[in-house]
Amino acid sequence: MPVKNFIEFKHISKEFPGVKALNDINFAIRQGETHAILGENGAGKSTLLNILHGIYQPTEGELLIGGEKVAFSSANDAIKFGIAKVHQEINMVPEMTVAQNIALGNEPRKGGLIDWKKLNQDVAKILDRLHCTIKPTDKTGELSNGEMQILQIAKALYLDSRVLSLDEPTASLSTQETENLFDIIVELKEKGITILYISHRLDEIFRIADRATVMRDGQYIGTYEMEGMTKEKLIYSMVGRDVEMFATRQKPSRADKSTEVLRVEGLNAENHVEDVNFNLYQGEILGFFGLIGAGRTDVMRAVFGADRKRAGKIIVHGKDAEIKTPVGAVKEGIALIPEDRKRQGFNYNLSNGQNMALASLEKFVKGVFVNHKKKLAAAEELLGSVNLRPNDPNFMTANLSGGNQQKVVLGKWLSASGDIMIFDEPTKGIDVGAKAEIYALMEELLEQGKSIIMVSSELTEVMGMSDRMFVMKDGKIAAELSRDEFDEQRILTYALEGNEG
Amino acid sequence: MTLLAALIVIVIVFTMINPIYISIFNISDIIEQSVIYGLMGIGMTFVIITGGIDLSVGSVLALTAVTAAKLSSGGMNVLGVAIISLALSAVLGAANGFMVSCMKLQPFIATMGSMSIFRGIAYIVTEGFPVSGVDSAFRSVFYGKISVGMRTSVMVLLVFAVIAHILLKYTRFGNYVYAIGGNEEATRLSGVKVKSNKIKAYVICGIGSGLAAMILIAKLASGEPTAGNGYELNAIAAACIGGTSMAGGRGTIAGTVIGAILFSALKVGLITSGVDTFWQYVATGVVIIIAAYVEIIQGKLAGKKRK
Repeated sequence: MPVKNFIEFKHISKEFPGVKALNDINFAIRQGETHAILGENGAGKSTLLNILHGIYQPTEGELLIGGEKVAFSSANDAIKFGIAKVHQEINMVPEMTVAQNIALGNEPRKGGLIDWKKLNQDVAKILDRLHCTIKPTDKTGELSNGEMQILQIAKALYLDSRVLSLDEPTASLSTQETENLFDIIVELKEKGITILYISHRLDEIFRIADRATVMRDGQYIGTYEMEGMTKEKLIYSMVGRDVEMFATRQKPSRADKSTEVLRVEGLNAENHVEDVNFNLYQGEILGFFGLIGAGRTDVMRAVFGADRKRAGKIIVHGKDAEIKTPVGAVKEGIALIPEDRKRQGFNYNLSNGQNMALASLEKFVKGVFVNHKKKLAAAEELLGSVNLRPNDPNFMTANLSGGNQQKVVLGKWLSASGDIMIFDEPTKGIDVGAKAEIYALMEELLEQGKSIIMVSSELTEVMGMSDRMFVMKDGKIAAELSRDEFDEQRILTYALEGNEG
Repeated sequence: MTLLAALIVIVIVFTMINPIYISIFNISDIIEQSVIYGLMGIGMTFVIITGGIDLSVGSVLALTAVTAAKLSSGGMNVLGVAIISLALSAVLGAANGFMVSCMKLQPFIATMGSMSIFRGIAYIVTEGFPVSGVDSAFRSVFYGKISVGMRTSVMVLLVFAVIAHILLKYTRFGNYVYAIGGNEEATRLSGVKVKSNKIKAYVICGIGSGLAAMILIAKLASGEPTAGNGYELNAIAAACIGGTSMAGGRGTIAGTVIGAILFSALKVGLITSGVDTFWQYVATGVVIIIAAYVEIIQGKLAGKKRK
């Protein structure tokens, strides 16, 4: 195979308000190779891919394809250039036929009308090349997840793409479908198509990738030939050594192992959460680590009553708790600070004071009327205690920075005075300074007698803050580790490979 | 403030075109119309703030009107008629609320269905004929003369508006109505009983139409199964002109009341100005679109200011 650089990332940086997502990325992908991109959640893999696909524009640096400098201003530009993406989420119109979806936006025309015959013939040819049994006239909505994925690949071929990127393509595929996909990838490679492959599943990468590039915290770490590479070496390179220092406990542990505030037994819930058991002690921070899709959020939503439980028992302070809706959870003193702040955390049309009071409005009611004065005064005091800036109860929460929005959500639950606080990705999309503040607040909450569950995809954060940790993989608990057993490599191995690892 | 200014401008312009516009007769006509649209619009405002819509208000009005007329012509006293009819309108509203919040139907579809059902029942129970013979005591309570150009119906609107305003601004229910419209999921995850609060909003909407029915039959002395046909659009227009956001989460009672007055003032003004009937439809539509657009512009300006 000719060793020729095809895609070159030259000193690419990408900044978002308050976050440097990519920092001086500099490497190349060869023509016709299958190149894996590895890294923890938040390492910058998706951001890099989005730059390649024209969804983001780099703040600095340039992108070369075939030696030629390109600057895509939209996803369509990239597609026209022959760079196609197989999406993590399926984005097809279920009501249309396979052929219609594949050609959507690029239908062959004859005299101004769509040339259906040619369209179906062209698509049939491509589907044949992919050795699949789908017919161009099949309804897309009736296909399986694996078939949908192949459809996206077919679409890329229809558009004569030279580069195909797959972001976690096997996440929702069965074993058979995965095998089929790998066969297709091998064939595409033989036809000279360059493939970028993002996955957390190391086994897959060892099977199909020629080379792998590792990223960490928006930095380029290295590009390795897969021949002669070992899993251990790859994991080591993904984790790195320079642990960020600010995500550490400033105060001694307050965990009281003689008092159990929450116990979850045999929980079965959405997204194959199966037989999950765990407990939370008074005054501890309990970490929940896992990769995206491991089911951590689903577990917490089921405990909080936001999603239906298929089975399982929840015991709060030693008593069986009947939690079917969030109303029940709040009554039991449980609070959930959700991952998706904008959609689930606060109301964009409400002010700080109104958001703060939403879960505890009964506290501010006199007779049947809400005492707005009392509410605003309480909001100012409470939100002051979490360092909200600006601390103005009439300010619209939607216009605050991410970190300050998170403080308002936190304030809502402090006002509701629950004693079990579940933080789901508490520092996601928050700048470094605000992160440190959130960590400090968590420790203050422990002093106030609260107990905390912290779901996080950031290894340094869970390791730095937790007294104890559960690692999840594929909807199941893979391991329980006490603080003295914390070890990056070990945790990541459990998260990647489950408890066999 | 923009609204009041718009209302004043409308009054001045129409008066200049034809001074008859500010005659007592004409003004009382505007007020009468505003009362009906206002009562229905106030109820509609609750529903729209939660992010819903109620297309069945005109049919609720008709079914309540024929029921009340039947009871009243049958000799029941005023209080009895009022209580039973308003309870009926509340139940009809609750049925809408149940479909939307418990059965998770789209508000548009659910209330489009109930619009047809309620209207049908109104025809069935009356066999299509108006129910006449509304008792005069009933008429004087809901449509009695207070002074020149002023009737008790205005009092009904005022009382309902004040209660609605207090409900919306000063009770937990009202706070939750705004919260649900702004972000239903975040509100649910805050431990708020979203379903029951949504049902309450539809109940209030039903009661608004019920009150409008009382006034209508008191005015006409009969209850007609065809009554209120197409009024849902007037109620939505009142709320919309009054600054209620169709996306939910925003709106006020005062805005809707002024919106109802402005809407009626416009309709009557177009008549006194001698505008052709067909053009009246065009003008009304234009005003609704302008009102909605002004809302968007104001929202954008407010957003810029905050940054």
